[in-house]
Amino acid sequence: MANSNSAQTALDMLILTILSRRGASHGYGIANAIQEVSEEALRVEEGSLYPALHRMEEASWITAEWAVTENKRRARMYRINRAGTKQLEAEKEKWSTFSAGVARVLRMA
Amino acid sequence: MRWLLNWLRRRSMERDLDRELSYHTDRRVSDLMAAGFSQQDARRQARLELGGWMQVQEEVRDVWLTRWLRDFIYDLRFSLRSFLRSPSFTITAVLSLAVGIGATTAIYSLVNQVLLSELPVRHPDRLVLVDWKGDQAANGFGSYNLMSYPICRDLQLQDRFFDGVLCRAATTVNLAIGEEPKPVGAELISGSYFSVLGVSPALGRLVDAADDERPGAGPVVVLAYDFWEAQLGGAADVVGRKVLINQSPMTIIGVAARGFRGIDVGQVPSIWIPASMSAQANPGFKDQLDRRTRWMQILASLRPGMTLTQAQAGLQPWFKGMLDEDTRRPEFPRITAERRQQFLSSSLTLTPAPQGHSVLQRSRTSQPLWVLFAATGVLLGLACLNVAGLFLARGSAREREFSTRLALGASRGRISRQTLTDATLLSVTGGLVGIALAPLVIKTLIAFLPRDTAANALTASIDLRLLLFTFPVSAAAGVVSGLAPAIRTSRGSLISPLRERAGATLRGARLRKAIVTLQIAFTLVLVIGAALFARTLAGLIAKGPGFATSSLVEFSIDPRRNGYSPVEASRLVRRIDSEIRATPGIDASALMRFQLLTGGSWNNPLTIQADKRITTDRDVHLNSVSPGFFSTLGIGLVAGRDFTERDSRPVGESGRRSAIVNEAFASRYLAGRNPIGLRIGEGSGPDVTADIEVVGVVKDISYRGIREESEQAYFPIFEGGDSGGSFYVKSRGNPESTFRLIREIVRKADPAMPVNALRTVDDQVNRSLNTERMLATLSGGFSTLALLLSLVGLYGVMSFVVTQRTREIGVRLALGATTGSAIWLVLRDAIMMIAAGAAIGLPCAGALGRLVESQLFGVTPTDPLTIAAATLLLTVAALGAALIPAYRASSVNPVDALRFD
Repeated sequence: MANSNSAQTALDMLILTILSRRGASHGYGIANAIQEVSEEALRVEEGSLYPALHRMEEASWITAEWAVTENKRRARMYRINRAGTKQLEAEKEKWSTFSAGVARVLRMA
Repeated sequence: MRWLLNWLRRRSMERDLDRELSYHTDRRVSDLMAAGFSQQDARRQARLELGGWMQVQEEVRDVWLTRWLRDFIYDLRFSLRSFLRSPSFTITAVLSLAVGIGATTAIYSLVNQVLLSELPVRHPDRLVLVDWKGDQAANGFGSYNLMSYPICRDLQLQDRFFDGVLCRAATTVNLAIGEEPKPVGAELISGSYFSVLGVSPALGRLVDAADDERPGAGPVVVLAYDFWEAQLGGAADVVGRKVLINQSPMTIIGVAARGFRGIDVGQVPSIWIPASMSAQANPGFKDQLDRRTRWMQILASLRPGMTLTQAQAGLQPWFKGMLDEDTRRPEFPRITAERRQQFLSSSLTLTPAPQGHSVLQRSRTSQPLWVLFAATGVLLGLACLNVAGLFLARGSAREREFSTRLALGASRGRISRQTLTDATLLSVTGGLVGIALAPLVIKTLIAFLPRDTAANALTASIDLRLLLFTFPVSAAAGVVSGLAPAIRTSRGSLISPLRERAGATLRGARLRKAIVTLQIAFTLVLVIGAALFARTLAGLIAKGPGFATSSLVEFSIDPRRNGYSPVEASRLVRRIDSEIRATPGIDASALMRFQLLTGGSWNNPLTIQADKRITTDRDVHLNSVSPGFFSTLGIGLVAGRDFTERDSRPVGESGRRSAIVNEAFASRYLAGRNPIGLRIGEGSGPDVTADIEVVGVVKDISYRGIREESEQAYFPIFEGGDSGGSFYVKSRGNPESTFRLIREIVRKADPAMPVNALRTVDDQVNRSLNTERMLATLSGGFSTLALLLSLVGLYGVMSFVVTQRTREIGVRLALGATTGSAIWLVLRDAIMMIAAGAAIGLPCAGALGRLVESQLFGVTPTDPLTIAAATLLLTVAALGAALIPAYRASSVNPVDALRFD
């Protein structure tokens, strides 16, 4: 699965994971969550984040709606749906096969 | 279309994206400020992190675009599937559009070729036509915008304004390349012609300034590429070959670039000859250098940066000086003070001429083309309306499908878009079929065009330019057809169609009725137009040329073009004339100098010496005829006598002895005086001596064309320079055998003499009515199609209404309504539509009628009888179409209707 889109696939996977663990969130929240969970190791560029969100919305993995946030402002909230959950499972499996493969090569070669 | 719809939706999507991104930055800014940044620094930092707002937007837009494309392909596939499921709908719709688009494309092709396409030369945009506004005090021969050759030379010196100036005249010459001479179209040109236009040779060299330096300087010929290919097989060794032009030897020096066909789309030359050889190309013509003979068109190429207005204004001082100088020349004609004033107040006008100069661009040909173009536009509109109607009909059948899709979460925009995709797909298919049909229609059209030469110049090929026209037209047709149904589907209520069963809804019907009403209005306009043109043609045919055409055959010869001197030519013509008359089976034969019904004429004002001297206030149409001409054509002699041999002076002696005038001339100028014995003279100046005796008065006949019967005067032929001419032969045999006899006689007299325009006079009459026939036939065809389209529309909507109201009608019948009242219930709707359509159509027809007035004959554009007949025809046909569904309504069985649920 390590093709040219692997960076994109990885980002998709991260976003879907955040959404499935923490429930609905807006773009800013997602970016912060990834940064926080990875202990600042991963910083999501906004230039990749929003296209990815809209792409996944087109693909119907996530849905979006405008909602009022904790600080009383309207934000576009994303939510993972069934297709998205399925997609996440599949990606996760591929990813672990892939990274296990890489780890094995690093260890054995 | 789709694009528009996306555009509308896109704006809200863009707004959302903007809001989303600004939320993001705002949050970031407040977080940063919470972490101790100043507001300003926090803002800068947030913006930096976002890495370019615009870039994020661009990338998100890319995501949207891929979705639109995917949706579009999905729509397309869905449309295709659903069309294949209902072939009769698809075929009807595609054919409607194909007819409309095909007809429009065909007419546009001609409009484009004749009126719009630029010459294939270096800078067509800089070409201007130079014309003389006012009295040139000169004799003219040729078509329009004529000037003398010396003025062209003068203009070439005005290099402040012009890069170059050319002049040209179209003519026909007898060309012999090794074999017997054949008439071909030629262009006499100034030496500057090819260099001003920037045309290069395909072979050899082209005519240059040296060839045109002085009369007789350049006995050279340049061939047109098409002629070289078709007649000489593209032989590479043509350069240097000797040819005979009207029996004068000349040399082929080259072939012009491929695709260059001269500057007149209606008269394509086969060869170009320098104007220095005009005496050889037009036998007997000696006036190349005469300032008072106008025979050429002048075109100039503006200097870069020079505007037309600047050049026109800048030329006037020089031009005024030239006029003044002209009047002081010894050879300047003696004219009245009034005409002299008119001469001196002349001016030069420049008009853009990127399309060159063409006789076809004159209103006589161009106007009918515009009329037909407008008619096809209306036809296309009708076709679109028809398809819109079909869509609505299909839409109401699919209402449940749409509602189901809506209920399942499809957006309304998505469904509207589907409808538009449907329409676009249909119209593009229709456009393709239309393009396939167009060449056929174009060929038919070209056959109708008045000039024989037009057939050589115009092509029926489909080129890129035409596709660039047809494709947008098809797309627009798709939008127009799909828009109403699309709007409708986007507004429909979600619940009611799902709940409905036999349905009492008439919502769709109102829009469809409006469409049918418009169709009826459009059709009425076309039917009235067609009726007017049909009456014009019928009127002209019924009127005829004013003489008996049956068993009359005509042909012409031009011995001067075969190297004859005037005296020899007259002798040859006389010999052929007497031979024809001596042939058994020939009843009569006569000669005329200028052939009738060709659109051209010899005209000049006349001076009449009665009890006072009268000058005609406009040109009189002149001709010369041999004795017996009037009896051969069955033209009645009203007073006096016909010419006899004694009226003709011996060959070589000039001056005229006697004349015959027509009734129109006598009534316009002689007002009750006895014309016999009056004296007339040719021209209107004070120096004209009126010494030609009027010996007879004849009935009026058509000279240039059948529409026209004006003042005419005839002189005896065989006088002076009348050394060629047209023969009119009356025979008992069939035309074919007469043609054979004539060819035989001419061949015996001179085997190398071409026989021109050998045909029956009936044929000539038909040719002269080509434009009228084209208008009548095509507008008739268009309006028949229009009628069919709108009847289909009417029938469709009435059937729909009847189906919708079946239960209501059933109840009424059960309650005792008669069959008649049920029929009336339905017909009333149809009558309303027809009446409304007529109310819209009649004023439109009245307004448009003024535009075609000049094309009509014997009928006004608001002729009540024609309009009443057209309206009646449409009403009867429309009621017929409505009657079928109405009858069906009346035969509804009340029990069935009530049980329908």
